[in-house]
Amino acid sequence: MKAIKARELSKTFRVRRKEKGMYGSIKSVFSPKAEEIRAVDKISLTVEEGEILAFIGPNGAGKSTTIKMLTGILYPDSGSVEVLGIDPTKKRRQLAYEIGTVFGQKEQLWTHLTPYDNFLFFGAIYDIPGREARMRIRELEDVFELGDLMDTPVRSLSLGQRIRCEMAASLIHRPRVLFLDEPTIGLDPVVKENVRSLIRRMNREMDTTVFLTSHDVGDIEKLCQRIVIVNHGKIVLDDSTAHLKGGDVSLEKVIMEIYQSEGGRPEAS
Amino acid sequence: MKKYAIIYKAVLMENLQYALQITMGFCSYFIMIFVMVHLWRYMYQSPGSLIAGYTKEQMIWYVIATETIWFGARSATVSRQAAADIRSGNIAYMVNKPYHYPLYILAKYTGEWSIQLPLYVAFAALVGTGMVGGLHRMHPVGLLAVALAVMLGVTINGVFKLCISLLSFWVEDSVPFQWLYDKLILVVGTIFPMEIFPAALQPVLKLTPVYTVCYGPAKLLVDFGADTFGEILLAQSVYLAAGGVLLCFLYRKGVKKLYVNGG
Repeated sequence: MKAIKARELSKTFRVRRKEKGMYGSIKSVFSPKAEEIRAVDKISLTVEEGEILAFIGPNGAGKSTTIKMLTGILYPDSGSVEVLGIDPTKKRRQLAYEIGTVFGQKEQLWTHLTPYDNFLFFGAIYDIPGREARMRIRELEDVFELGDLMDTPVRSLSLGQRIRCEMAASLIHRPRVLFLDEPTIGLDPVVKENVRSLIRRMNREMDTTVFLTSHDVGDIEKLCQRIVIVNHGKIVLDDSTAHLKGGDVSLEKVIMEIYQSEGGRPEAS
Repeated sequence: MKKYAIIYKAVLMENLQYALQITMGFCSYFIMIFVMVHLWRYMYQSPGSLIAGYTKEQMIWYVIATETIWFGARSATVSRQAAADIRSGNIAYMVNKPYHYPLYILAKYTGEWSIQLPLYVAFAALVGTGMVGGLHRMHPVGLLAVALAVMLGVTINGVFKLCISLLSFWVEDSVPFQWLYDKLILVVGTIFPMEIFPAALQPVLKLTPVYTVCYGPAKLLVDFGADTFGEILLAQSVYLAAGGVLLCFLYRKGVKKLYVNGG
């Protein structure tokens, strides 16, 4: 069964433009100018249930905008989306119960609360009864090895510990699809490896579909069965990781060559 | 509604940690009351005189009540956080959670004033009794009615401040609108009762939030009457319903305009 179906998905942003200096500032008051930027341009893709997909591309390629349309945050200008058979533009709240999201640079946890209180809080948000929520928290505590952190306010946790808690919080309602937007950003190699093994475990044990964006080739190489590369809002490659890794050239080099051939800036991993 | 009760509880837990810091606001509150008490004492120079139908004690307690509502309902959540969420795009990460964002913000706001307001009420009772003596004896049912009117008033205030914050979907900065609203409440609603203003202006003022947020609850405290209570409760119910509809309308329209740049 398909977990995600997107067809001809497009999104255009209107960005204000202003000439430099004081003259430009005054001129923009009387004659404001705006430019339309096509962030996503007729993207079509499908993701199978239980698959781990890397959705990558240079900065400004349209990755996060696509994720935001798939999760119901943004409304597409045209095209259609279905996640687990639900249209995010029409039934965003219903979809929220089925998906989890982790945006590496955004905190969703309440920093003054402990991870335990946060998990209870998210359990209540997702209408999970208290006893069931406490049982799931114990499970997540084991899976994410959070035993020592459970009674420490989130604001006192290190970045790596916080990311582990963020992921645990996004799984309290057992989502069938998990959207991870640069989950390992800013983490040291050891914590990165822990997070990757957690994603693998989740996928294996809970059959969670994972839709991952990352600039880290290590994440892609070690986790994903399939790679979709976007640039300038369009899909430029959709292939299996095994096939791309096939030759003598490293996956990182293959990806950088694709970025460069498509006119995008390569990212350091 | 259970999830909003949980949000409320989480904010309550947070704010309990800051109860001591809230009391720091007592200084500016005290200065404001001190100035107002002396101003009204000067105005009521002849004993037993009435201004706009209020005795000196009633007038001072009116100001104490409105200032308590003003200070107790101060909230960065409805006036700044919601606008900042919209401007920064943070709201995007909240709208895909299974709760209604405006109710989420209002639950947080309620958690804030639930701690703040009782602290100010206790301090106001102390300051008021010390400066002008106790207020006339009120039946406990009357006090409950006043408490209900205050809670409704504070809630209406939050709904309208949040509506103003939601304007950030369309304008660069909603702060000037917040400023106008605050000044309307502060100048027209807290310093003088409505009866001070010209008779022609009073029906207009009754249509503004001043009537339901400040004037109504304070009037009940200083001059309680079942008829007045019924009138104020009706106005507050209408205001709350209208504010709720406006809030939903602005949110629904605004969230479709959501612009979040890629990551």
